[in-house]
Amino acid sequence: MWLETILAIGMVISAVFAIYLKETVSSVLSLSTMMILLSLLYFNMNAPFAAIFQLALGAGTSAIFLLAGDSLTKRSNEKTSKKTLLMVLVISAFLSVPLLVGTVVPQSFIQTAEFSLSIALWDLRAIDVLAQGLVVLTAALGVVILLKEERRRN
Amino acid sequence: MDYIILSVTILAIGIVGLVTKHDLIKMLIAIEMITAAATMNFVVFGSLMNDSLGQAFSILALSVDACVTAVALALAITIFKKLKIRDVRDLSEQTEEESPTVEES
Repeated sequence: MWLETILAIGMVISAVFAIYLKETVSSVLSLSTMMILLSLLYFNMNAPFAAIFQLALGAGTSAIFLLAGDSLTKRSNEKTSKKTLLMVLVISAFLSVPLLVGTVVPQSFIQTAEFSLSIALWDLRAIDVLAQGLVVLTAALGVVILLKEERRRN
Repeated sequence: MDYIILSVTILAIGIVGLVTKHDLIKMLIAIEMITAAATMNFVVFGSLMNDSLGQAFSILALSVDACVTAVALALAITIFKKLKIRDVRDLSEQTEEESPTVEES
């Protein structure tokens, strides 16, 4: 029970930090921390595949994208003041109260022999998975076109 | 049920960030947070009902989320290289300044 509550409070605190910190690198690192904690929560719920994807895509790939975007654009030299840090801590403490009062309940996440992600993905959602591939390809094509157009102009 | 409180809290933080912040990267961070909060519900309810479909949906949602981030960042980089702007307010001002010339032409 305590593990879930600690993870949940950690998530809320890192989410508030990700929004209110002025330095973008620190914000991205806070977001990654939030995603790592979320992935640990998924592991705790007996959802290992979702946890691994969250870790790889949410914490890893997105963070790399955001850091690359930050380094390719102009960085602001603003620094987080102590007053803002104090405000962030107060806000996160306030937002953590409902989680402490309610406590993230340790529901019984049962894992049985019927559990199979491959059946869910390939038998029940096969068209979705194929369409997913199309979405990823389209996104990649869109990014290439956007950046290539810019290079051509330069 | 308390996982919903966590999900709603993260969603609220994301929405507040999206509304109050004007930096393009910060807005993307807020969007990431909102999608993480939404995806969490799939996994929580899927695990509660012992149904792996929740995980399958979360995997699909996460991949789409990564695609959205990539395209949005490419747009942000293009905007920055073209207009040297990273703040959304400056972008709106720029658009307002440019719009009469578009109408004239």
